Amino acid sequence: MNKIYLAAIVTTLAMLGFTYVAMDIKGGLNDDIVNQLAILGAVVLVIATVFVVTKYVRQMQTDKATGDLTEENWDGIGEYMNEMPFGWSVIFLLTIIWGLWYWTAGYPVAAYSQIGEWNEEVAAKNASIAQRAANLTPNEKLHLGKAVFNVQCAPCHGTNGKGQENYQTGDLRAENLNKRALSKKYVEKVIREGSNQLGYAGGMPPMMLQDDADIDAVATYIEGGMKGEQPAQYAVCGSCHGMNGEGMDFVAPSLTAYNVDLVKTLLTSGTKKGEIGTMPREAKILTPLQIELVAAFVANGPATELEE
Amino acid sequence: MFHWLEKRPFFFAVGVFVVIAFAGLVEILPNFAQQSQPTVGTKPYSTLELTGRHVYIKNSCNACHSQLIRPFKSETDRYGSYSKSGEYAYDRPFLWGSKRTGPDLMRVGNYRTTDWHENHMMDPIGTVPGSVMPSYPWMFTNLADVDTAYAEQLTIKSVFKVPYSMGDEKILIPMEDGTSETVEIATTLAGANAAALEEAKLIVADMKNQDVKDMVAAGKIPEIVALIAYLNSLK
Amino acid sequence: MENRPLEYDYTVAKMFMLTTIVLGIVGMLVGVILAFELAFPSLNTVLGSGVAEYTNFSRLRPLHTDAVIFGFTLSGVFATWYYVGQRVLKVSMAESKFLMAVGKIHFYLYIVGVAAVVVSLLMGITTSKEYAEFEWPIDIAIVIVWVLWGVSIFGLIGIRREKALYISVWYYIATFLGIAMLYLFNNMEVPTYFFADGAGQAGIGAWYHSVSMYAGTNDALVQWWYGHNAVAFGFTVPIVAMSYYFLPKESGQAIYSYKLSLLSFWSLMFVYLWAGGHHLLFSTVPDWMQTMGSVFSIVLILPSWGSAINMLLTMKGEWKQVAESPLIKFMILASTFYMFSTLEGPIQAIKSVNAIAHFTDWIVGHVHDGVLGWVAFMIMASLFHMAPRVFKKEIYSKSLMNTQFWIQTLGVILYFTSMWIAGITQGMMWRAHDAFGNLTYSFVDTVAALHPYFFIRGVGGALYLIGFLMFAYNIYKTWTVGRQVEERELTNATPMAA
Repeated sequence: MNKIYLAAIVTTLAMLGFTYVAMDIKGGLNDDIVNQLAILGAVVLVIATVFVVTKYVRQMQTDKATGDLTEENWDGIGEYMNEMPFGWSVIFLLTIIWGLWYWTAGYPVAAYSQIGEWNEEVAAKNASIAQRAANLTPNEKLHLGKAVFNVQCAPCHGTNGKGQENYQTGDLRAENLNKRALSKKYVEKVIREGSNQLGYAGGMPPMMLQDDADIDAVATYIEGGMKGEQPAQYAVCGSCHGMNGEGMDFVAPSLTAYNVDLVKTLLTSGTKKGEIGTMPREAKILTPLQIELVAAFVANGPATELEE
Repeated sequence: MFHWLEKRPFFFAVGVFVVIAFAGLVEILPNFAQQSQPTVGTKPYSTLELTGRHVYIKNSCNACHSQLIRPFKSETDRYGSYSKSGEYAYDRPFLWGSKRTGPDLMRVGNYRTTDWHENHMMDPIGTVPGSVMPSYPWMFTNLADVDTAYAEQLTIKSVFKVPYSMGDEKILIPMEDGTSETVEIATTLAGANAAALEEAKLIVADMKNQDVKDMVAAGKIPEIVALIAYLNSLK
Repeated sequence: MENRPLEYDYTVAKMFMLTTIVLGIVGMLVGVILAFELAFPSLNTVLGSGVAEYTNFSRLRPLHTDAVIFGFTLSGVFATWYYVGQRVLKVSMAESKFLMAVGKIHFYLYIVGVAAVVVSLLMGITTSKEYAEFEWPIDIAIVIVWVLWGVSIFGLIGIRREKALYISVWYYIATFLGIAMLYLFNNMEVPTYFFADGAGQAGIGAWYHSVSMYAGTNDALVQWWYGHNAVAFGFTVPIVAMSYYFLPKESGQAIYSYKLSLLSFWSLMFVYLWAGGHHLLFSTVPDWMQTMGSVFSIVLILPSWGSAINMLLTMKGEWKQVAESPLIKFMILASTFYMFSTLEGPIQAIKSVNAIAHFTDWIVGHVHDGVLGWVAFMIMASLFHMAPRVFKKEIYSKSLMNTQFWIQTLGVILYFTSMWIAGITQGMMWRAHDAFGNLTYSFVDTVAALHPYFFIRGVGGALYLIGFLMFAYNIYKTWTVGRQVEERELTNATPMAA
């Protein structure tokens, strides 16, 4: 074999090999036709260019310039009247024929629409997800919830759910989701003004307690994590939030933990105005299944190590 | 025939021009014939939002951020529903971008908040560890150019009939829920500045930076406030 | 034909050679700075937060693209035109005082335009449209510069002695017409200072500000019809013009096939303009237009390859020259990168591949294997060929040229391999999802994964810049201390000192 062909093969293998080794295929091909075609395109690109160029370099080495020159000559530059290279002409003709066919027949017959394609893609994936989702173990649920959390929630709440620090004040910028810590000041405000930020139907009316001393006692108790002796006035709260503060599904949130019901309600209908502004309506982006998963993950405590 | 052309530069040039101009006619005119219609719920930008859009352009945010959500599940999951043509009806210029060094911002108003942007524009890497975005501290001190945005609003209202309400003239814009709204612009430059300041006050209520708050209280609008108003409007 | 060669006047060519080199250094230096700012973001504020506004990635990025396109490349196009034009039309600029004056005004007004662009982009005065960032006052200046160039082209053609136009002249004419049409239509804008008179109150705000004539999807359509073809008529057509003159001239070989030149030219002109839609795949532009962009992109492969093949076949049997002359090496490798790049583009224009490639660094890699490997190699080779003829001096150092060739080749390879890996990696990470349809990576995960490739790209770019500085030094030394040469040494192969 001639050296130049060997060099071409080595170049091709080196380039593709280097790409393969260096590429951290984190996304994975994922049985995704788009991924496969992209890789195929890159491979074809290298091979086609190297080998076509090699063919002509070979001609530089062995062939000789021949043919009739045209009459004209510009600044000493002549032109041969050679025919066009056969392979080039044929392929050019083929691409034109293909283009005409595709444009007049192929594409209209396929009746392609990108939105139609999106609808099909989403429908197919949702169907397959629904099928798999039927038999999830609790641990699988947590792992999947973590995946959703890392993509959608971690930018503010941090990958461990502990929130991140404000660059100026050092305050935590989004709630620490590992522990529901209601400050006294906040509880007092909610009792006086009422609240409907988490999105529970009805919400909490203002002034459920009227007396300053009562409000102070309840707020202190809740800030303390509902430990110690329960003030009698808490009974008013307990009718909805539960006497132990664990909340009642669909009625009122837990005061002690980010439980599944709280997270789900917040993500679907809440307009939570937190330390750093209004929390986004994730329901616009997340599916009901994803909300289910992320709620389970948060309720478990985002910083908790998961079993493999 | 070609050899004949090669000796006649004028006809040669005409020939080249015809050949290259042809594609433009076929490709571009059909879409122009049908004026870009806004989708229901799409409103023109308010004075402060448009001022912020100019800040966005001034700093070439579009060099790294796209505003175009393609119809793939992976994109609609990440950024929200795919883009529709009519949503861009009031975008002059369009800001689709051609490179996503940072994430798409077409609907960033749905999932980021004023305070998040405030932190992020000052210290992007502290806010999102691993980010390669530079910080933009000068936006917290440079004053926004409301005048130019107002001039642009007047221009697009008179030249392109963008449905701004002005003075007694009310132009209703249909919303998704069947109601309709108006987007008002002031009748005078002073009025436009006053209106922008009112919008700015709503934004700084959610901000922490005391210098910025003081500036707005003193009737001045820093670029960051206008930019956040614009980003919040992207939905 | 007369025997005594004409005394060509290279005054204007010389001026543009200077700006080619200076603006090349500026554009590439800014590019290297940008590359390292992405790899190490703290560099954005390395000169302190006071000037951070002007050293920041986002302000510098349009400056990089415009310095390379409208500074380096366009200067190169003008420099070679004022050289090649005279020679293939067989007429000297010295014969017409008018054309000489037009050429000089062309140059000085161009310099004014460049200065205005640099200042305005650093200040953040931009329309945001890629490669058309300039506000209306600068647009007007650019149109005048362009008209002056047109006067120069057609004026020189008007007094020509060579009846038939050489292939290179076809391509220069096409460059002139193409950019003129594209630039005018894409920069249709309304200055707000004068038109804000809805309530009789003109004269508000910044006087230089304007608003685009087109909105949203239409604006995008016009912009990418322009953006794509600015590449066609800035980075392809005039560079092909150079290759059709300098390769046969330097090697002393006749062009392989007139027919191939002819068909490549006319089919390139016809097909190129249709392919702009491939920048807007999966956007809100109608499906049929996107498909048209894809189809024509595929058809475009062959007209592009036609010119490159014509170049390679012109060197048939001349391996010895390729092996010995670094100048010819530059041009042969340029043709190779041209083929690589013009196959890569259409592959990226296939809708399914574009779904991954669009918005990623693979596109950036594609642009750079074209611009670094093809455009800049060809321009540098042209200037290397011109320098001894313009200065009547021998090239200062052949070995320096050889070293430069290998350093820059390595630079380009590092650049585009790191970028296509980065692009495909990130594109696949964006799409990655688990069996339950959850996205696998948050956006910032996909950015963090690119760090090593950003670094390699920076190194590749820095190598290329080093090579370019060697080029500048070599030309400078040729001009100042090169050995004087006789006219007869300048017929074909460029004289070079070891």
